[in-house]
Amino acid sequence: MLILCSFAFFPAQAQTLQPQTPPPAQTQPPAASSATPIAPKPTRTLILLDPAHGGPDTGAHLSGNASEKDITLAFNNRLRALLTTANFAVISTRTADPGTVFTTDQRAEIANHDHPAVCLILHATSSGSGIHLFTSALTPPSASAHPPHILHWDTAQVSSIPASLSLANEIGAALLNAKLPVILGQASVPPIDNLTCPAIAIELAPLSGSGSTPTPVTNTDYQQHAAQAIATALTSWRNKTTADKATDGAAPQ
Amino acid sequence: MIPRYQRVLFWSLIAGICLMAAFLIHGCRQAHQRLTAFNDTTPIAAPTTASTEEITLDVANDADGSISANQQQFALPQEPTLRARALLEHLLAEYALPASTHPLQSGPAVDDVFFVNLPITTPAAAASLSAATGLQQNKAHPARSAASSGQLAVVDLHGSFADNHPSGIQVEDLTVRSIIGTLHAAFPLVTEVRFLVNGQPRDTLNGHASLKRTYPAIDTATTPTPPETGATKQDDTHS
Repeated sequence: MLILCSFAFFPAQAQTLQPQTPPPAQTQPPAASSATPIAPKPTRTLILLDPAHGGPDTGAHLSGNASEKDITLAFNNRLRALLTTANFAVISTRTADPGTVFTTDQRAEIANHDHPAVCLILHATSSGSGIHLFTSALTPPSASAHPPHILHWDTAQVSSIPASLSLANEIGAALLNAKLPVILGQASVPPIDNLTCPAIAIELAPLSGSGSTPTPVTNTDYQQHAAQAIATALTSWRNKTTADKATDGAAPQ
Repeated sequence: MIPRYQRVLFWSLIAGICLMAAFLIHGCRQAHQRLTAFNDTTPIAAPTTASTEEITLDVANDADGSISANQQQFALPQEPTLRARALLEHLLAEYALPASTHPLQSGPAVDDVFFVNLPITTPAAAASLSAATGLQQNKAHPARSAASSGQLAVVDLHGSFADNHPSGIQVEDLTVRSIIGTLHAAFPLVTEVRFLVNGQPRDTLNGHASLKRTYPAIDTATTPTPPETGATKQDDTHS
């Protein structure tokens, strides 16, 4: 059993992975000499995007001779642009199609090292319809359970499952508002069980509408529409969590 | 100069040929559709003296991501491993039918099913001397948690089944959960399920659903619940 706390972040990976945006801004104490009040700088929430597959691992073969690895990369780029515009800090486990890619364990290792607020694992398929949102299939801890002293690698996601479920609901609701069909579920898809952050696997499937032919996942408008809804949901979720933290901070006073 | 009656006859014959060709093409298409509608590749059940019994199959549906319990009558062997294998072959053959809600490729899928009593005990590494005989003896220790009880079902899938399975999180997860739910319904003593492919551990079924973990044997018949839309509608106007 691999123990999460014993994992060290390899320097080689640190050189390979280039964060696309600066790290989350630290809250600076106000300067004593400044006479005019300074508006508080909004903190930048870190999002980790994991476009699945890549390199020799092509993933599913989709319509139009497309590979899943290309669709997940394209969707990653769209989502990253929208999230960056919405003042999120974003890291992607890959931004191109390299010859060798990180294994799922290495991707989880990167995510756990950077402590993102949210981890989104991106997939695409030709089966089913609409957008499938999956959280971990591990059994969530009971309310009375004490937090574990040691996180086991295979069940590292357990303590984040309530937050993952809440966030999946938020994204699902935003997709429904954007007139995109959504299916929420639980699945054990690597590396979701190894992540310590709230994690969701997002799977794009063909969009079956009123017409005879469904919209394929290669459709750029479909990808942009879905990415826009996810970015809206994450913005809403950030606003809520920020407001909740402010309320919690003010309550004792 | 071609006489008028010959020209009329010629064009009449041409029109007749065209009509017959159209009729022939239409008939061929209808026959093809009729034959493909009955393209059931399910092997015919071998004659057996065993009586049929009611069996619950947990059948997956790709359209809504649900799994529903489906009662069917068919004969199964009584020996547990043969029974489990025949049961799963029947389930997966259902998915190869043309009208399947979770279409999979036809062909052999399950190589074997084993049942192991829990907790699994293995010989301890450290040996001790027996007080009675003076010979070296090994103490048996549970290899898994003592909380594990019941039986572990090990399902060994064919490599061709895994390689040709449709690739995707939902479609692979539905297959795995359908197998687990069907085993749970037929074998109440089974508490855990593990998967092998060609007798070896494998990371995923076909790139997505994990086969490394041990799944709890539970009733997997579920319908996904839609997200609650109350909170987000207000936030859309804000963002």
